[in-house]
Amino acid sequence: MSYDTVVVGAGLAGLTAALRLSERGQHVLIVARGVGATHLAPATVDVLGYLGDTQVASPAASLPGLSNGHPYGHVPVDQLTTALAWFCAHTAALGYAGGPGENLLLPTALGVPKPSALAPRSMAGGDLRAGGRFVFVGFKGFKDFHPTLIAANLARARLPLSIEARALELEPPPTRRGDLSGRVMAGRFDNEQLTDWLVHALEHRVEPDERIGVPAVLGLRSDAPWQELEKRLQRKVFEVATLPPSVPGIRLFQALSAALRSGGVRMVFGVTAVGARINAGRIEAVEVANATGTHAYPVTSVVLASGGFASGGLELDSFGTTRETVFDLPLSGLPEGHRVRFAPRYFDEQPLATAGVATDDLLRPVDGSSRPVYENLHAAGAILAGATPWKEKSGTGISVATGYAAAEGILVPAAAPVSEAVR
Amino acid sequence: MATQSPSLSSLEADVLVIGGGSTGVGVARDAALRGFSTILVERSDLADGTTGRFHGLLHSGGRYAVKDPSAARECIAENRILRLTAADCVEDTGGLFVSTPWDDPEYGDQFLQGCKATGVPAEEIPVAEALRREPRVNPDIRRAFLVPDAALDPWKLVWGCARSAEEHGARILPYCRVLYLEMDGDRVVGADVRNERSGEEFRIHATVVINAAGAWAGQIADLARCTVNVRAGMGLMIAMNHRLVHMCVNRCKRPADGDILLPLRTACVIGTTDVFVPDPDQTEIRQEDIDLLLDEGEKLVPGFRQARALHAWAGVRPLFEDTAKVAETRDVTRSHALLDHSSREGVAGFLTITGGKTTTFRLMAEAAVDAACRQLGGPRPCRTADVPLSGSENHALYQISHRLAEREPVPQAEEIICECELITRSRLEDTIKQRDTTSLDDIRRLLRLAMGPCQGGFCIYRAAGILHQGGHVDQAGANQTLLDFLEERWKGVHPILHGDQLRQARLDDWIFQGILDVEHVPV
Ligand SMILES: Cc1cc2nc3c(=O)[nH]c(=O)nc-3n(C[C@H](O)[C@H](O)[C@H](O)COP(=O)(O)OP(=O)(O)OC[C@H]3O[C@@H](n4cnc5c(N)ncnc54)[C@H](O)[C@@H]3O)c2cc1C
Ligand SMILES: Cc1cc2nc3c(=O)[nH]c(=O)nc-3n(C[C@H](O)[C@H](O)[C@H](O)COP(=O)(O)OP(=O)(O)OC[C@H]3O[C@@H](n4cnc5c(N)ncnc54)[C@H](O)[C@@H]3O)c2cc1C
Repeated sequence: MSYDTVVVGAGLAGLTAALRLSERGQHVLIVARGVGATHLAPATVDVLGYLGDTQVASPAASLPGLSNGHPYGHVPVDQLTTALAWFCAHTAALGYAGGPGENLLLPTALGVPKPSALAPRSMAGGDLRAGGRFVFVGFKGFKDFHPTLIAANLARARLPLSIEARALELEPPPTRRGDLSGRVMAGRFDNEQLTDWLVHALEHRVEPDERIGVPAVLGLRSDAPWQELEKRLQRKVFEVATLPPSVPGIRLFQALSAALRSGGVRMVFGVTAVGARINAGRIEAVEVANATGTHAYPVTSVVLASGGFASGGLELDSFGTTRETVFDLPLSGLPEGHRVRFAPRYFDEQPLATAGVATDDLLRPVDGSSRPVYENLHAAGAILAGATPWKEKSGTGISVATGYAAAEGILVPAAAPVSEAVR
Repeated sequence: MATQSPSLSSLEADVLVIGGGSTGVGVARDAALRGFSTILVERSDLADGTTGRFHGLLHSGGRYAVKDPSAARECIAENRILRLTAADCVEDTGGLFVSTPWDDPEYGDQFLQGCKATGVPAEEIPVAEALRREPRVNPDIRRAFLVPDAALDPWKLVWGCARSAEEHGARILPYCRVLYLEMDGDRVVGADVRNERSGEEFRIHATVVINAAGAWAGQIADLARCTVNVRAGMGLMIAMNHRLVHMCVNRCKRPADGDILLPLRTACVIGTTDVFVPDPDQTEIRQEDIDLLLDEGEKLVPGFRQARALHAWAGVRPLFEDTAKVAETRDVTRSHALLDHSSREGVAGFLTITGGKTTTFRLMAEAAVDAACRQLGGPRPCRTADVPLSGSENHALYQISHRLAEREPVPQAEEIICECELITRSRLEDTIKQRDTTSLDDIRRLLRLAMGPCQGGFCIYRAAGILHQGGHVDQAGANQTLLDFLEERWKGVHPILHGDQLRQARLDDWIFQGILDVEHVPV
């Protein structure tokens, strides 16, 4: 069977690209070793939170300040705006809101206000910009959320308007499992009467003007428990992202995969893209290995969304050599000299932080002389060179923006004259 | 254990011990068991010097059987004693000496002879049998020998000795640095000490001061205008994920760099190197030493370079130099040095015990306290060869599976704060209370918190939250210890970052800087 596009990777970048392509009529296959960072990362879309040491209030206004070679350099602001609106429209079940114009400031599980451009409605209520009173609620026995520290840190955070924050610890009904992960907690909200319990536990302990922050474990299946809490408590309730696994991230993954399935996209997990058949500067087929052997999928276009070092898209060996693992693409942002030495202080600028593949404006990986390596290969997400996303708070934003832009790059008729002929 | 500073402005004891490594706590325990009032001061945390950074081998003596027979004899004798008295600190892994294709198989004959002459039990076994026991070891080895090497947990050993010393009346004072030695004419009568946590300074008077400052012993001796030449020999080790071997595997050749790979709890450690450093506090890890260890590891276990390297660290050997002037007692061997400064420089009340190995720490302590007795009114018998540490009374050797065994009766009974090392919430909370510490790094040394594959990616946020929630630190203190921990951890992580461990490190970057945004926490 032949596909218009094979997408390598099922993280936010791959899912975005695949959904956009299928929506525009393409026949798309996603091949992925496993799920991506959606299951680990907060489900916010962080476009740009910091430019150097400066907190960013408006990503759109600050993007021009990024250095040359940053992935956003290939995504014009109006395209970014379109991509974010498109993303909100396709995740309607989760109620994403926001845009590139201004950042929300959402509390982290350490009590640090963190800038995000988009948040699902279950998290958006934590926006600290308007000030006010907050209560953070922890669950005894759930080790991944520490409300006293959150409240104490927030009380000292630099914010536009003053806030008050306090902590509350509640003891959920006992369960046979003593060591609870976020996933197990979320399952209890799906299946047991935990929402009911929480409403009763909070009713008389929260002031009328307090907003209620809870760990992001309010149900895996949907955000229905969150909706019910807001309705019954008549107060703003919001989820605060905490250690992996990420429950809102899993909801996001489910929402996107549901959209992909109904768009006819095929998703194959547990397989590894290992290379390509090349002909006349184009990828003819992507080679994919599973437990039984290697299979070649003929393609018109390819999106490489295999992530960075965190997901195995990039690899550094013990001799100091860095490699892109699927197509052995040329890399940019590698330190000089043959050996990588990391900076001795953790928060200093680290070599390899910005390493990845450089692209042209159609998001096609380029070689040292800025020519596309393969005419029909596009890249998106964390595999791209030029960003330090964990410092900039730009990881998920880059994935959505470049996933969308890579799809557009494929859809531009001029970029794919051969594909028309093949079809 | 109470580790608060003494609020008194001066203290008195028969014996003041300087240094909280294996030697120092060994001396303090020995002195306390003999009934002397004893105080120990350590500038940092206990075992934060060489002892907590050593390789982890309870030597059988096999390594020294050819080159240094007296050291070999000492090792096998002490090995037998520690298996009984410090059983809970010893994992009986057994040791294997192998001749790889890079080693002369004939050396095996010398090795066997040396072992025989020094009383180190050694037995040659067929290569096939060795490979059956250690399937990852290079299949091209030509000879293999079994010896009673074992793995030794330095933190348990040091804390066990310290607690035992306290049970016998000693005061153990971590984070107390000796600034000056107090002299009365040509006699050392005590020390001026600064509490490194509070900044408070106080004085300790003592009849005998024992310098057990390891590679820093020269610095302490200087304070009494005595000379002790210890050369600081830096050695590098790398911990690898998983137990690639289950026994202590040694190359059968003259001792050299990178020739031992031994299991340590859930990991294994390759070491070591030996590079002279002018200052024992300056231990920069060099890339060439890392490559050397990885290459030597590859010879012992093919595929070593693809395995996941977790952490690298360096320790400094105290190598005692001027043997000419030490020949005053039977206690001087090539492996350690006991110096009585009254006969060397005419300074009374002052002894130095340095050099040696952790394996022979008890013997060193015995020698030092024997010498101290001479200045404290006559001999008293040493009891450390017979009295076990608490936790080791039944002589049960440590088993790798013990934490799992403790948890298993009640599956999932409570929160596990550190999944890698199976540390429960109550265990963490008890330790915080007992130690009265607010430093995640102190807790790490006691519990091995954050020492597994994820290097603290998950447990450190939890532990900081628990410290704060329990009222042990304020918010600024919790943030600071979290940031300090990340820096401290990075020191051991960044030199060996590659392969899957870089992947792990990137995940940790995302947890701390992405999810939590620790960089912008108010401190
Ligand atoms: C713990 C954690 C917290 C984070 N927190 C934040 C945050 O707060 N803010 C933020 O902006 N970002 C955050 N991120 C980062 C963000 O999630 C990522 O930067 C971004 O989403 C990467 O998406 P991606 O699709 O490019 O790659 P990934 O999500 O990494 O997905 C890569 C995909 O490629 C697959 N793959 C890799 N190699 C192959 C192969 N050879 N064959 C087949 N499949 C392959 C993988 O299995 C996976 O499906 C966080 C990430 C993590 C891990
Ligand atoms: C790389 C390496 C690997 C090794 N491997 C092994 C092995 O596998 N098996 C084995 O048996 N031996 C091994 N050894 C040897 C063994 O580790 C050491 O001999 C032993 O740890 C020394 O203990 P110590 O107490 O004398 O010194 P240390 O542990 O260094 O203790 C001295 C203490 O003095 C303190 N101090 C310094 N200045 C002051 C001051 N002014 N005031 C107060 N305190 C002060 C220091 O902080 C330090 O904690 C190894 C050594 C190295 C370097």
